[in-house]
Amino acid sequence: MNIIEIKGLKKDYPLGATVVNALRGIDLAVEEGELMSIVGPSGSGKTTLLNVIGCIDHATEGSVQIGGREITALNDREITGIRLHKIGFIFQTFNLIPVLDVRENVEFPLLLMKKYSGAELHKRADKLIEEVGLKEFTKHRPAELSGGQRQRVAIARALVTNPDIVLADEPTANLDSVTGASILELMKEMNRVEKTTFIFSTHDANVLQYAKRIVKIKDGLTVQ
Amino acid sequence: MNNYLISISIRNLARQKRRNFFLGLAIAIGMMILVISNAFTNGISDVMFNRIMRWVTGHVTISFNEKGNIRREVCRDRERMISAIMESDGETVSEIDESIGTFAKAIGNGSADNIILVAVDLSKSVDAKKLKETEESFKMVEGSFYDLKRTDIENAAILSEEKARYLNVRKNDVIRLRFRNIYGQDQAARLTVTGIMKNSNIFMQPVVFSEMSNVRHVMGFRPWETGNINVVLKNPKKDAVALADRIHEKLTPGRAIIYGTLAYAGNSTPVAVTGYRSDNESLAKLAGILEPSGNSEIKKDGAFISAKLAKRMGINSGSRVLVNYPNKFEEKSSVFPIKITGTFNGDINDNLIIVNEADFYNAYYDNLPRVSPENTAPAFSLAETHPLSALLATEWILLKRTANTDELKKKYQDMGKQKWKATLVDVRTMYESASDILKLEGVLNIITFSAVLVLFFIILIGVINTLRMTIKERTREIGTIRAIGMQKSDVRAIFILESFFLTLISCLAGIALAFITMRLLSLVHFEMQDNPMGMLLIQNHLHFMPSSGGIVFNLLLILLMAVATAYFPARRAAGLSPANALRHYE
Ligand SMILES: Nc1ncnc2c1ncn2[C@@H]1O[C@H](COP(=O)(O)OP(=O)(O)OP(=O)(O)O)[C@@H](O)[C@H]1O
Ligand SMILES: [Mg+2]
Repeated sequence: MNIIEIKGLKKDYPLGATVVNALRGIDLAVEEGELMSIVGPSGSGKTTLLNVIGCIDHATEGSVQIGGREITALNDREITGIRLHKIGFIFQTFNLIPVLDVRENVEFPLLLMKKYSGAELHKRADKLIEEVGLKEFTKHRPAELSGGQRQRVAIARALVTNPDIVLADEPTANLDSVTGASILELMKEMNRVEKTTFIFSTHDANVLQYAKRIVKIKDGLTVQ
Repeated sequence: MNNYLISISIRNLARQKRRNFFLGLAIAIGMMILVISNAFTNGISDVMFNRIMRWVTGHVTISFNEKGNIRREVCRDRERMISAIMESDGETVSEIDESIGTFAKAIGNGSADNIILVAVDLSKSVDAKKLKETEESFKMVEGSFYDLKRTDIENAAILSEEKARYLNVRKNDVIRLRFRNIYGQDQAARLTVTGIMKNSNIFMQPVVFSEMSNVRHVMGFRPWETGNINVVLKNPKKDAVALADRIHEKLTPGRAIIYGTLAYAGNSTPVAVTGYRSDNESLAKLAGILEPSGNSEIKKDGAFISAKLAKRMGINSGSRVLVNYPNKFEEKSSVFPIKITGTFNGDINDNLIIVNEADFYNAYYDNLPRVSPENTAPAFSLAETHPLSALLATEWILLKRTANTDELKKKYQDMGKQKWKATLVDVRTMYESASDILKLEGVLNIITFSAVLVLFFIILIGVINTLRMTIKERTREIGTIRAIGMQKSDVRAIFILESFFLTLISCLAGIALAFITMRLLSLVHFEMQDNPMGMLLIQNHLHFMPSSGGIVFNLLLILLMAVATAYFPARRAAGLSPANALRHYE
């Protein structure tokens, strides 16, 4: 079954008096449990595409279905709910919340779900923290972690809600190649264990070896 | 509960320590000023209403000036006044004081000075709490407050240190007084110094206190008479004006008539006697209405008898007649001798004698007549609209109510020109007796209000500016938490809560600071004996009266301001598109 189905997706950004056509008609289907990579040169529209899939930006034209549900017509409250329950995000710049420690950062999305007790929160968070290998660092604040460690926290946070899809926009761009490789290894492992669909963007050819499927994108269009 | 929102917002506060510290400090100082000025205003108002006004004029005063004489403050019918007060609204009244006292010349050991003799009521009728308060207001240097009760010495008296020094007297010395009694006669009396006190405010300096019964006695008051009546209220600010208005209504004077028996040349007959206004204008009008017979002319010092009665009794112009009448307060009669100067034909009343008001009121006020005309004469009545009505004597003259000191002064100046012979009765509140002092309260309220305004601007500018910077700095973070799935309303709540807690913590700190400052300020000793501001001090110390209600109100008000101010920037932050927020780059 296709977890993501995109048809004729266009995205325009107004820029002063002109319009930037960031996406110009993308068709894409992603199967559940895939580990997929989006590659393309800078400015080709990778981030834009991930944002639309991740429901943090809306399409100008076309249809986007997540888990069989058309998202282009939903209101902000519903869209936010989809982000919370169905999607996990990993950012190039990690984007942890600086005032929260590792465990609190990982628990944060669960807190937003407002359905877990304190004990359940800790249990789920601790399991993931252990899986990403940060058991000793639960009480550390982001400022007290290395880049690689931060990205591991971000992965744990993205996975803690058991999302259908995890989106990672250039997750290794701010890491050295060894650390980057370990992060990708971790994602690959998570994809295997949790059966979560992973989509990551990159323009680093080395990264591609981790992907099961590669989608190339250029000037806002997929190229085969 | 969204505990995590609170927790996040409080932790966020700690992120920009410097910036939040300065804004917090500004709010704390503002709150401190607000609490202090509020407590100070309350304190001043407490001093004014419950300490000064209470002793000086009461909150509502009924004053009496017999024959328009400001020195002759005599009420001839105490009970009637007290029931007028109680019937107006007894519920609001805390106590009714009779203010009895007089200006006097005091002669001590080799030096003389002017004093005010004031009566202190130590009788059984005064309740213990009030007595205790009175005692406490006397800071005795020598002797005891209760020595005023002593009867083994002549007119025990307490005076201030300054006065004692000036008159060169000590405890047990005698002061001789010269003053005018309530009948307008010069009088002398002796006081024995039984105590000397420190004066707690400037009003006390010229005052010499003696027990009520002593003062009543030397001034010639009879039991049913009194001086001005001061009403102390439970809630003066709320009730004073309304009560004064109602008392004023109740004190509309009736007609002053003496019902008695006219005796002349061995014959007697029931008669009603009243007075007529003796100013030139009234005299001219009277001539038209009374139609005096023969050559009799209406003059300032005349007395006119109805022509029919004169004929029946054989009375002529120049006859001296006696009117015997029962007294209101004693089981006895008084005699009112009248020299008839003419007769009148006007169809008014066949048993009437109309006397010039000076002579009439002399008799009338010296011994009030019993009002019921039974067994004496047929009741004399006159329609309000009768042209004579306004020209005849009333029980007293009730002055119009006034709103402030200026109006009151003007009223008395106008009255002075009228040369009334009747007692002038005025009902006034502290707002008229002492509006100058009370204006101070308004000024202080303006200061407090300004503090609120200043604080409001601190918050407005401070919070908006701080939030603007914070939101700019945290744009990417906002994008992140929105992307992770936090709803707009929660993002908004975080920023509002941040301002709320900053303001709350600052205000609490400000309140604590305020209490510390007030504590310190009230330790300072001020010497302001000769400065009128000194009266606002209590025992030479500033008097703060913080009210918890006021503080809570101000706190809530400021929190509301902070939340309202934070609302719009917070809403803007929450409204950011997550994609744009994530792309944001400083
Ligand atoms: N908010 C925006 N306003 C205007 N133009 C934008 C905006 N965001 C992106 N673009 C434009 O859209 C195009 C696609 O941008 P996008 O960020 O998706 O590229 P990318 O493939 O992620 O590039 P990179 O590899 O450098 O991250 C670019 O030409 C970019 O300039
Ligand atoms: Mg990009």
